[in-house]
Amino acid sequence: MSNTIKAAPAAQSPEFLTPSPVTRRTFLGYTAATTATLLGVKPAIAADELNVLVWCDHADDKLIEPFEAAHNVRINVKTYEGTGTALSLIEQSRPGDWDVLVVDAPDAPTVARRGILAPLDDGDFPLGDLFSPLTSAGFNYVDGTRYAVPEKFGYYGVAYNKEKVDPADMRSAQVMWNDAYKGRIAVYDYYFPTMQLIAISMGIAPDKIGMDDLPTIREKLLAMKPNIKIIGDIVSVQNALVNGDVDLILNGAEFVVSGLMPTIPALDWTIFDEGGLMWIQGIGVFESSNKKDLAKKFVQYILSPDGQGRLATSECYWAMPANSQAVLDDSQKKILRWDEQAGFLDRSVPSTISQPDIDSAMLDIWTEFLQS
Amino acid sequence: MFNRISRFSSTSYLLLALLFIYLPVVVLVLFSFQDGLLPVFPFNGPSLQWYEKMLENERLVESLYNSVLVAVLSSLLTTIIGFLAAYGLARHSHRFASGIQFLLMAPLMVSYLIIGIGLLITLNIFGIPKSLVAVGLGHMVINLPLCFAIVYSQFGDHLKNIDCAARDLGASDLSTLTLVIAPIMKPALLASFCLSATLSWDEFIIAFLLSRFDVTLPVIIFEMLRAGLTPEVNAAGTMVFAISMALVAVSAVVMFFNTRNTG
Amino acid sequence: MSAKRDWTRWAVHPAVGFTLVFFFLPLMIMVTVSFWQRIYGKLEATWSIANYAKFFGADYLRDSLLNSLEVTLITTFLSVLLAYPLAWILAYRVPPKWQKVLLILAVLPFWTAYVVRSYSWLLVISENGIINATLMAIGIIQEPLELAYGRSATILGFVHFFTMLLTLTIYANLVQIKPSYQKAASDLGANRFQVFFHVTLPLSIPGVAVGAFITFVIAIGDFITPQILGGSTEVLVPQAIMLQVSRAANFPMAAVMSLTLTVVVVIVYLMVQKHLKMDRI
Repeated sequence: MSNTIKAAPAAQSPEFLTPSPVTRRTFLGYTAATTATLLGVKPAIAADELNVLVWCDHADDKLIEPFEAAHNVRINVKTYEGTGTALSLIEQSRPGDWDVLVVDAPDAPTVARRGILAPLDDGDFPLGDLFSPLTSAGFNYVDGTRYAVPEKFGYYGVAYNKEKVDPADMRSAQVMWNDAYKGRIAVYDYYFPTMQLIAISMGIAPDKIGMDDLPTIREKLLAMKPNIKIIGDIVSVQNALVNGDVDLILNGAEFVVSGLMPTIPALDWTIFDEGGLMWIQGIGVFESSNKKDLAKKFVQYILSPDGQGRLATSECYWAMPANSQAVLDDSQKKILRWDEQAGFLDRSVPSTISQPDIDSAMLDIWTEFLQS
Repeated sequence: MFNRISRFSSTSYLLLALLFIYLPVVVLVLFSFQDGLLPVFPFNGPSLQWYEKMLENERLVESLYNSVLVAVLSSLLTTIIGFLAAYGLARHSHRFASGIQFLLMAPLMVSYLIIGIGLLITLNIFGIPKSLVAVGLGHMVINLPLCFAIVYSQFGDHLKNIDCAARDLGASDLSTLTLVIAPIMKPALLASFCLSATLSWDEFIIAFLLSRFDVTLPVIIFEMLRAGLTPEVNAAGTMVFAISMALVAVSAVVMFFNTRNTG
Repeated sequence: MSAKRDWTRWAVHPAVGFTLVFFFLPLMIMVTVSFWQRIYGKLEATWSIANYAKFFGADYLRDSLLNSLEVTLITTFLSVLLAYPLAWILAYRVPPKWQKVLLILAVLPFWTAYVVRSYSWLLVISENGIINATLMAIGIIQEPLELAYGRSATILGFVHFFTMLLTLTIYANLVQIKPSYQKAASDLGANRFQVFFHVTLPLSIPGVAVGAFITFVIAIGDFITPQILGGSTEVLVPQAIMLQVSRAANFPMAAVMSLTLTVVVVIVYLMVQKHLKMDRI
């Protein structure tokens, strides 16, 4: 009792000092409320946060909001392009900073061997529903342990404007050096798939590229430079194609044009007759995460039919979901070329990352290519 | 005759220059009102949908809040220590005065990018996490020389006399500084605050290198640029432009009254 | 009294301390790290000049420095060339009461959001952009001009921004020149051109020098403009630095490039120093 009496004046003391405390408080409250409304800061703050390091397709609110609402969690998204960039960001972080990683699935073993990814249990994920070429590939396990689950896939080939090019030319990898497209080509800036496409055009499988092959690949890469107008990230090359500054995007396919095709029907894409090159995104949980359970739930959500439908059609780029049960309507499936996938998959091989020394030599050649 | 030609060519040059200067701004603003999914020609007529979408974007609105926070706090601190330094240098004949001046102005010679990389490497080596605080410190580094220079250039002999007079009348150091000098310098202080806030508000590369999830508005806009082609970017860019202009207008008004008072 | 006086002597210390800790210390650390090595994804504290040797030895890295210098010098030159007449017209041809308004009007877009400035230019100069659309509509050209991407697009983006900045510094300088000098020269028989070349121009050099120096410093360290407008068919030093940081976390190499850029700026500063009065900025 005495405590209450003592405490009360102390708590109220500031109000004794002002002539009209109620007015002031009302005013302050009003100001605060207005400010909060203006700033759109909601008073209810999510109980938890999940930090995800992902490709830009995971930044779409349409994809992450259902999970945030269901688990009363806030997802912090950091986007990157290219495994090297992800590793660099991880290196600049502290343990516990990150919970979920999306990474090119063929790179997952390399990342896992660095101790970055946590082991996953096959039983937690709908592996049976995934397209089988994804789950049967070698990169799914490291010494029998799974570290990442395939979640989305597509191809590296060519995307183009039907009205500006001869679609027949697009079927061959020789288009890279075709004089008809001088200064009309954009290259999606990802070094090893571009060089692997060159290798495929020479009859060398991506995983068979050796140090001895690099001088020839370098020569061929530099030889295509006169045809190149711009080398850039996904949106830069999209921008160039949409604005008419280039007629085709090399090293791109569905992921650079599918989202645009409903608006601009003249856009199309294909894989090369010489062979298709597949990209496969994987998703996993950080070994250093303090919220592995929640992180796993996020991975499960992304792999669920609902999450897969949203991921396949997300803002940054559309592409095939890994899960064959993904919730998609017919028009979306048509754009994704759902029915043609069997044929594409038959003709394609996954793009895999090379040994560290070859990889680093490739990056040097790429810098030289940019500069040439 | 000569005059007429001269006037004609002057006017044409002026108009052409203004056309050149305004072309990208007009296109940026125009396509923020695009009624369609892509910010490219043709223009489909006015719509506010992208502004609505932008204001519904929680991350963007939050980054707006972060940007204001960083700009206000870093500019406030920069203006205070810049003012103190200018006062100290103006009041006393320092042995190292020109050395100190050079030291304080030195960051002007180094690109924002390099200041950012330097701080990034430092954080990394000492294992300090990136944060908005780091961004604010970076902005203080780039703005301190400007704040110092603006305030210092306004310290004339008459202020030295006023300073002496205040002391002779018995004012303490602190009250001379806060009650006499600071009010006289108010226009310069406000101008340096506004300039610094404007630069911090629109700064990208340091914020990009040193922030984690709590990012500033320019970083979010850059990420939007990389995440898809959308007129929402135009809307966000237009908003940043509008707020910058408001800040510039405030400092211009302050400067205007300043020159009228002293001149 | 003397104890009191000491208190205000400390007034410069917060600023000096801040600059030492948050500017000079990182710079020193960068110098140190530039001699380190990145071996198998780990930083090794060594004293090796291998990074410098690689930067200046490999054509494709050294070229980035040459590209940067060329682009920046062309930018500075063109910006002065465009801005000087504009500032001159504002100062001498526009009635005084309109000068301030027109000046503000001419530099307002300076504050266009930095990250979208270059992107806005893309919307202007691309093949479906406003310039090509207009020229084709009025029949001046049949085929669109290829303006976007490449060095000239980067320079265009730069020149646009710095023309405004230089107009400001040159105008500020021109209005400080006492009209009596010009009048004296014409009284002595000098014609308009002689007055301009022998009086006005020499007296306006400080304004040009300050603006040009700021242009040089900002342009040579800018990442976004070449990244968005240049199309990456050539790489400038800031892009090379960002490639090292973001793709490889190779801080030693990034440090070498950053320091090189800083040294270049310092050399330029020493060259133009006598024309610079920093307090005019």
